[in-house]
Amino acid sequence: MEDQVVFRINRLKKSFGDLKVLQDVNMQIRKGEVVTIIGPSGSGKSTFLRCLNLLEIPSGGEIYYNDKNILDKGFNRSAYRKKVGMVFQRFNLFVGRSVLDNIMVAPVKLNKVSRANALVEARELLSKVGLSRFENTFPDTLSGGQQQRVAIARALAMHPDVMLFDEPTSALDPELVGDVLRVMKNIAASGMTMIVVTHEMQFAREVSDRVIFMADGYVAEEGTPDEIFSHPKNPRTKEFLSRVLKEEE
Amino acid sequence: MTVHFGDTFANLMPKLMNSLLTVLEITGLAFCIAFFLGFLIAIGRMSKSKILRGFLLCIVEFFRGTPLLVQCFYIYFVVPALFKLAGGSVSITAFTAGVIGFGLNYACYMSEVIRSAILSVDSGQREAGLALGFSEAQVMLKFIIPPAVKSSLPVFGNYLITMIKDTSILASISVAEMLLITKNYAASTFQTIESYTLLALLYLVISLPLSQLVRVLERKLNRTKRA
Ligand SMILES: Nc1ncnc2c1ncn2[C@@H]1O[C@H](COP(=O)(O)OP(=O)(O)O)[C@@H](O)[C@H]1O
Ligand SMILES: [Mg+2]
Repeated sequence: MEDQVVFRINRLKKSFGDLKVLQDVNMQIRKGEVVTIIGPSGSGKSTFLRCLNLLEIPSGGEIYYNDKNILDKGFNRSAYRKKVGMVFQRFNLFVGRSVLDNIMVAPVKLNKVSRANALVEARELLSKVGLSRFENTFPDTLSGGQQQRVAIARALAMHPDVMLFDEPTSALDPELVGDVLRVMKNIAASGMTMIVVTHEMQFAREVSDRVIFMADGYVAEEGTPDEIFSHPKNPRTKEFLSRVLKEEE
Repeated sequence: MTVHFGDTFANLMPKLMNSLLTVLEITGLAFCIAFFLGFLIAIGRMSKSKILRGFLLCIVEFFRGTPLLVQCFYIYFVVPALFKLAGGSVSITAFTAGVIGFGLNYACYMSEVIRSAILSVDSGQREAGLALGFSEAQVMLKFIIPPAVKSSLPVFGNYLITMIKDTSILASISVAEMLLITKNYAASTFQTIESYTLLALLYLVISLPLSQLVRVLERKLNRTKRA
């Protein structure tokens, strides 16, 4: 089953008015794969992820999830989204709800998990992301790194089959990035299928099975981390990598 | 001419307390109507249907563009007359007309407050809810409306205070509220100065603590927002 395809994306297009953001994206994601998407800002990475869980409705193309086209009429979006977790650049924790409540609300309301069981699991998840001390805290008093780890725990509480991460560390102070990346590495090690848009090249190199370089709404190049980082073929990839790797020094 | 504050206080105050009850009843009922109707209007004005949006906008503009007192007169005098014209009959007490008039009028103002509060909730709340599998309606109820209501609490508080004071206009349609009671008392005893002064002080005693409360609330909300 290792080779089971979770996502098969064909000729995906998305425009906002006259602006063609996704021109023609084709991709397959296999079960258990960790795929990172890199590329210059404005190249359509976020839009692509948002199309995957239908926060944006594609203008054309097909997205097959376990061989069902999620763009078909009558496709059950709610049931699908429960299985596809999303972590946002700006965390988007629910305001006015405690850390525990943020994690428990979806399992209790959507999966009809009892509060007692949801609580046990929420605490387990919090200890996994290293935030047990903060279970009754409110999001606005947490640091960005802590908020993002709560957001990850919130997504995990739904037992997703796939996790989407949209630049999960880009809004963080540099010293807080490490904690979040460590949590993501653990999730990857647990066998989760992950699609991660990131600017953390070190993370992409170490953790991903496959790296996709996006530019101008296309997949410009894809390959193993070694192929992309050590032997890039596309001049756009070379130019991008030399620019960001220089910035990192 | 001498003033008899003690006398006025002893005789008028019990009557005012009675009519204060009426004021609070009208305010309580009208405010509940305004709150829920305000929500419905606010949500309707964000609906996909152009017709519904246009219709609600007309309603809101109508109620905001005509005086509250005229609206109450209309409900009290014109609505029964219209029923009669149509061959039916309906009796509306002044109290009911006041509750309906205040409820509708304030609903229109409050719908604007609620609408802008809902629109100012960060879109990330909606997206996070949808991404977890909640429906649009669930997202609205669970993640958008609560913070929107919370941030509007001070404005609602101020509307409540204004509403209490506004009920004095209902003297014109013979609701036994505080102004009418005072007017009658002053007319029969000639204690004009004392009566109206007492009335004004009573309004102050009610509204000052409430405004103070709103101010505290406001400060508290601002503090949590900044943190
Ligand atoms: N909702 C939207 N409406 C209009 N333009 C958008 C919207 N979302 C994204 N865009 C535009 O699409 C382009 C790609 O954005 P995005 O997918 O966020 O790129 P990336 O994540 O790679 O930086 C940008 O030019 C952006 O301004
Ligand atoms: Mg982006």
